[in-house]
Amino acid sequence: MCCQRPLYIAFAGLLCLQYSETLAQWKRIGCDNASYLVMLKAPGLKQKDLGLKQSKGEAAAIETELLRDYRFGQQQLIEIWGQACALAITKAFPLSSLAKKQPTVLVICGPDQNGSIGLVCARHLRMYEYEPTIYHPQRSSQSLHQDFTVQCEKMDIPSLSYLPTEVQLINDAYNLVIDAMLGPDADCANIKEPYPGILVTLKQVKIPIASVDVPSGWDVEEPSQDGINPEVLISLTAPKKCAISFSGKHFLAGRFLPYDIQKKYELNLPDYPGTDCLIEL
Amino acid sequence: MNHSSAEARAETIEPLRYLSKGEAAAIETELLRDYRFGQQQLIEIWGQACALAITKAFPLSSLAKKQPTVLVICGPDQNGSIGLVCARHLRMYEYEPTIYHPQRSSQSLHQDFTVQCEKMDIPSLSYLPTEVQLINDAYNLVIDAMLGPDADCANIKEPYPGILVTLKQVKIPIASVDVPSGWDVEEPSQDGINPEVLISLTAPKKCAISFSGKHFLAGRFLPYDIQKKYELNLPDYPGTDCLIEL
Repeated sequence: MCCQRPLYIAFAGLLCLQYSETLAQWKRIGCDNASYLVMLKAPGLKQKDLGLKQSKGEAAAIETELLRDYRFGQQQLIEIWGQACALAITKAFPLSSLAKKQPTVLVICGPDQNGSIGLVCARHLRMYEYEPTIYHPQRSSQSLHQDFTVQCEKMDIPSLSYLPTEVQLINDAYNLVIDAMLGPDADCANIKEPYPGILVTLKQVKIPIASVDVPSGWDVEEPSQDGINPEVLISLTAPKKCAISFSGKHFLAGRFLPYDIQKKYELNLPDYPGTDCLIEL
Repeated sequence: MNHSSAEARAETIEPLRYLSKGEAAAIETELLRDYRFGQQQLIEIWGQACALAITKAFPLSSLAKKQPTVLVICGPDQNGSIGLVCARHLRMYEYEPTIYHPQRSSQSLHQDFTVQCEKMDIPSLSYLPTEVQLINDAYNLVIDAMLGPDADCANIKEPYPGILVTLKQVKIPIASVDVPSGWDVEEPSQDGINPEVLISLTAPKKCAISFSGKHFLAGRFLPYDIQKKYELNLPDYPGTDCLIEL
């Protein structure tokens, strides 16, 4: 057994064990997924409490319940998520750590909710004195999405009319790229232009990529073999199954989920420190 | 603030503007109409910032009572909605808020915020005890989210005058959201409630000029163009904080 790699044990059936950092012991959790993986401590490796990852269906079900039963509004949720994303960015890439003279950030926004979250994230980054630029190839006709777009324009956040295919231009102009293109509801087998082209470009950039919720192009439930390789993943509400083996910096952002939902879906969310709305997993 | 304006300000620090009732209303209208912010979005921003101010002014560890109880009194309008969001976030921060919500608005947005609180298992009082000692004993502090800057303080309808009478007698601290209920927006009050903490939203109002308690400015979202247009001269928020103590 190679000591460089973490040891995985698959449990069949209903009983799973999960190592709890805080309790410093194994605890039993209920588990529906027979192939749920548990990582044992291996010498020299960082212990990670995997928690229960969401499937595409669970993520969608939770959101439906939040809107329908808990009467949250989409605008409200997107604002919560976008601000939490921005805070995650400031943690992963503090202003003082940025290599370039100007604290530039490229935010690539899709047409749907993931894109709206990117727009709110960009707006908050501007308040935190970063210099975001938005690339927004497909504007949604949805009025909520348009509102978020106007809010960014009115914050003097510049917008690119096209994304350079010359990757060096991107590497030179920005410190990092925020991928807010496709969310967990996207059909990754059927991605329409211009996103495949953008993803090709992103696979070649040398600057770090931070993905919002799900790396664009990845299947929600499977880690990607040949997709983009973000340095940072900001999971919203709860991490998705594709993130189980994510090896980069992984944040859980957004601290608003009612306890009843947490219990119902057995999310076992970690304790957020103090009044923070995000935690590094 | 962008860097060049911060340099200019370092040479001559412009004083923070205190808003009149008209200016506060005008800013909000512009935010909704021109900047396309949504009311739900703004109320969420303000409510969360209020909750953070409460955690700063009254940290969990500092609370005297065995349970971290907080009484949140919510009015029927926007100020009340902000109180509801504040209560919800306090619950996430492990405080134990109880809401007293004498007048429910028929506005669906206000109702949504109410349901969100109910679904967080935040208890709701059906009446406010007039026996002040009961309030003193049960809660660590009271959050006053009854009347905002748009209220007509010369013409406050029941049950709020009665509640204000009770609040003037409580011994536990009061924290007011935006404007102490019952105060004129532009004049400090002679005989109104006397909050220990004031959490101004967006920019402070004229009545707060001589406020002697703990004064927070909460909510960090105001576009620079509006700040310049109204010459708000907002202070620099530290780091990624969305509030600052004035």
